[in-house]
Amino acid sequence: MRLTVNGRNHDVDAAPDTALLYVLRNDLALNGPKYGCGLGECGACAVLIDGVAARACVIPIEGCAGRSIVTLEGLGTREHPDPVQDAFIREQAAQCGYCLNGMIITTKALLTRNPSPSEHEVLEALRYNLCRCGAHIEIIRAAMRAAGHALEARD
Amino acid sequence: MSAYSVVGKSVPRVDLPAKATGELVYVHDVRVPGMLHGRVVRPPYAGVDAGPFVGTSLIAVDEASVHDIPGLVAVVRIGDFIGVVAEREENAIKAAAQLKVSWKPGPDLTDLSDIEQALRASPSTPRQLIDKGDVDAAIKAAAKPMQRTYIWPYQMHGSIGPSCAVADYGEDAIRVWSGTQNPHILRGDLALLIQRPESEIDVIRMEAAGCYGRNCADDVTADALLLSRAVGRPVRVQLTREQEHAWEPKGTAQLMDVNGGLNADGSVAGYDFATRYPSNGAPTLALLLTGRIAPEAAVFEMGDRTAIPPYDYENMRVIANDMPPIVRASWFRGVSALPNTFAHESYIDELAAEAEVDPIEYRLRYLKDKRAIDLVNAVAERAGWTPRPIRQEPEAEGDIVRGRGFAYALYVHSKFPGYGAAWSAWIADVAVNKATGDVSVTRVVAGQDSGLMINPDGVRHQIEGNVIQSTSRALMEEVSFERGAVAAREWGAYPIIKFPELPKIDVLMLPRQDQPPLGVGESASVPSAAAIANAIYDATGVRFRELPFTPERILKGLHGEQPAAPASLAPPVQPADLNRWQNPLAKRGGMLAGIAALFAAAIGIGAAALPWRAIAPIARPDASVYSAATIARGKELAALGACAVCHTSEHGVANAGGRPLETPFGTIYTTNITPDVDTGIGAWSYPAFERAMREGIHRDGRHLYPAFPYTHFARTSDADLQALYAYLMAQAPVRAATPANALAFPFNLRPLLAGWNALFHQPQIFQPDPSKSATWNRGAYLIEGLGHCSACHSPRNALGAERQAAYLAGGFAEGWEAPALTSLSKAPVPWSEDELYAYLRTGESRLHGVAAGPMAPVVRELAALPDQDIRAMAVYLASFNTPVDRSAHDALAARLETTTTATTAASAAPASTKAPVRSAMRSAARRCSAAGRRWR
Repeated sequence: MRLTVNGRNHDVDAAPDTALLYVLRNDLALNGPKYGCGLGECGACAVLIDGVAARACVIPIEGCAGRSIVTLEGLGTREHPDPVQDAFIREQAAQCGYCLNGMIITTKALLTRNPSPSEHEVLEALRYNLCRCGAHIEIIRAAMRAAGHALEARD
Repeated sequence: MSAYSVVGKSVPRVDLPAKATGELVYVHDVRVPGMLHGRVVRPPYAGVDAGPFVGTSLIAVDEASVHDIPGLVAVVRIGDFIGVVAEREENAIKAAAQLKVSWKPGPDLTDLSDIEQALRASPSTPRQLIDKGDVDAAIKAAAKPMQRTYIWPYQMHGSIGPSCAVADYGEDAIRVWSGTQNPHILRGDLALLIQRPESEIDVIRMEAAGCYGRNCADDVTADALLLSRAVGRPVRVQLTREQEHAWEPKGTAQLMDVNGGLNADGSVAGYDFATRYPSNGAPTLALLLTGRIAPEAAVFEMGDRTAIPPYDYENMRVIANDMPPIVRASWFRGVSALPNTFAHESYIDELAAEAEVDPIEYRLRYLKDKRAIDLVNAVAERAGWTPRPIRQEPEAEGDIVRGRGFAYALYVHSKFPGYGAAWSAWIADVAVNKATGDVSVTRVVAGQDSGLMINPDGVRHQIEGNVIQSTSRALMEEVSFERGAVAAREWGAYPIIKFPELPKIDVLMLPRQDQPPLGVGESASVPSAAAIANAIYDATGVRFRELPFTPERILKGLHGEQPAAPASLAPPVQPADLNRWQNPLAKRGGMLAGIAALFAAAIGIGAAALPWRAIAPIARPDASVYSAATIARGKELAALGACAVCHTSEHGVANAGGRPLETPFGTIYTTNITPDVDTGIGAWSYPAFERAMREGIHRDGRHLYPAFPYTHFARTSDADLQALYAYLMAQAPVRAATPANALAFPFNLRPLLAGWNALFHQPQIFQPDPSKSATWNRGAYLIEGLGHCSACHSPRNALGAERQAAYLAGGFAEGWEAPALTSLSKAPVPWSEDELYAYLRTGESRLHGVAAGPMAPVVRELAALPDQDIRAMAVYLASFNTPVDRSAHDALAARLETTTTATTAASAAPASTKAPVRSAMRSAARRCSAAGRRWR
């Protein structure tokens, strides 16, 4: 099975019904997408498939052939972060950070289809990404910053 | 002060760049050369870790059942501990799922369907923490005795990442990579488990997902070590979501009894407080499952945190009833202080209300701590608190009433008497929908005195995190049990707060940089539940003394059989009987089989979304219990829902199913909805029917495919669903088995569907918009609900859910284009209300052509609906379009007629030349239908 991940082709020796997440993490040694529920409920495993936020824990690799898969690593690096990654770092938009991958990927997909979302649209886009620490306030600020909105300074 | 150069300034975190770019950070990311993948199989007594059956229940493991798994390395069994090891992770997952294991019949576990009863019945040892004045005499002499009971449910820590560990057991070195919070204690446990000296074991501590007390981090480390020892290679073990949910040591349920009352002058007569906290430190699971330690529950003295109220009551007694856990439990953020404070701060609010004194002013009379007083005043000022000595009925906005509540706490932790962390106070604003029972926390002013703040930005994060997490706990969190074992095993069954439900949060951090620093990790959680309960009381006049404040509990309190307002002058009664909801509607194990589940299922997704939870079959109901009028109403509704259009195959018997529906994901065959017991819905109770309609779950617990538009039906009222049930049950049963679905991968996966529901389905009953007319609202109810128009007329996203942002903006049904019903319509002539009415009533609009393709039988079915309902649908749909007057309509039509005649004449496709405009419309449909499938 050939997969295109972060702009490079990879021939993967895994059964076609293998969830994309395990191939990304184990065969490609990527850390961005996280196992959270295996049911597509929490969003921790999100990746971009043809620019759309998809849940790698329930998508079999056979559905991904011929599609462009981008993970958190493919967006940018510590030295050259994507504007969305940069906004999340600047807004300190994580506590434990386990959900952070899904928040960034989902925000990236939102901004791709809607470059200037309202706060309401941000909330709706992130509705199905779960965060348990309660970093939501900073996550919303990060998404709004990435969308180019001016933010109120914090005291 | 000024000697500090870094302390006291907000500093960005050093870990975030790595986390935001996918560098190796978490224990989940550890990869060791030669590493294998392991999974464990847990026993059926889910979440229970004490009793003679623990470690002794396994009968047999059938290794042959997994011999076909590629790359399987080992099946490991020690006592009740079972693990599988494979070269590839997905094969370890398959092996764990496929392994045949036989267990002894389930032990009798403690019934947790009634938490209060279970906690009272469980053995305990009273420990007196304070006895001041003469409580008994004071209460006996009280002018207004008040006896109250407060109940806290079992809750989950709910780490977003299920626990994971890697172990490498070599003869010369034993190494584990772990997300443990207690590496030293863990090392002792591991040494005990494998009978090696602690000094030989290296524990490498890595970050893990946040755990807020305890999760399964230690358990999984021990699991990995056992598997690595068995195979002689490094093994990574990842617990599943289900295992983390089932086995994490829960935040325990807790029961608080308060006896006391008021003197004639409104002062507090006495305060007699007793708390029951069944929890301990949750021993590492592998030690219990392998029989290395005895499965006897230890008693920890941890129910005493903030058990003594912060108020200087003259006569006061506080007892902590120490008890062993009932299910596996351990400390959870705020520990016992959070439930204890729920009781203290609710009770003083009740006292203030009875005394007719503003609740903040009343507290200040008994608060002697200067920093506490300063904090309370600062928070009241920040929130703009207005004194409310007597509760005023708020002005309702439609069904919504608003209120605000206050609570204060000093979180006291560590061994009694312990010491204080940061001071915290909340003012919560809530909105309560009296029709649906929904509570929304709209704003929280959270004030905190933390002493010296080392990194103020970090303190703010902790306060916000506490506010959000504890609001979630108060509003919606409760572990469900099935015959005493944990039943909630995924997020659908244990919902937590989502972005759109967040309160606005105003954090007030008192500047105390000259004071010693205090713990800030938990304090801001502690006042949460009481502040919200007090706000709900302010809004509704009803006291809620049991969490969580779910819609069903609120509705029950507002309208239920039990009088909810406190009977202030009633004589004291036994705590067991007082202020306790007879609670058949709670989302608890075993309840769904009863009629009570009807309402629970109607309101929340909650525990009802458990895919393995079947509703028992019933004998086919006797339709004669329903009136002719009800059945007739059901017939109209069946027509509106056009049930028969999909649930009847070509030339088949009405409603007997079998019609193939082509979806982008494969073919789905519609089911038999006649009341045949074996192949239809004859064995479906009304709760099963209603759950299917609202939540898309088959009676047998399977998820239904979202081609069945339950996302719309969920909005239908109870009365209408009951009528529809009556009608369907009154029809002749037809025996007709449904063909198996032929769905493309991955849509034939049940887990994907469970996820689908969590992602896209909001089972809420329709809410009228008060700013619109009654006709509009009726139309909205019909269109959005049973009419399920947007199921076809809205585009679906990659996962088959209707895109909310593109509501009614055009989609596809069976290869036909379902035109946009809004102003995005490609129709050259906008749809007006009159044209919509004509089209839906007669199947023909003079400007838009006839209803063809999948719409034709829909209009045929709509013939059963009264004119006023069709009119309401037209009014509602027309409201999405720019209004046009009739003459402009006609002029535009005439103009188009001349320009399109030539086009259609030149077209090879047969077209009606009598109505050129109409044919222009249809030609657009043909272009799409040519590429799609014919209606069959």
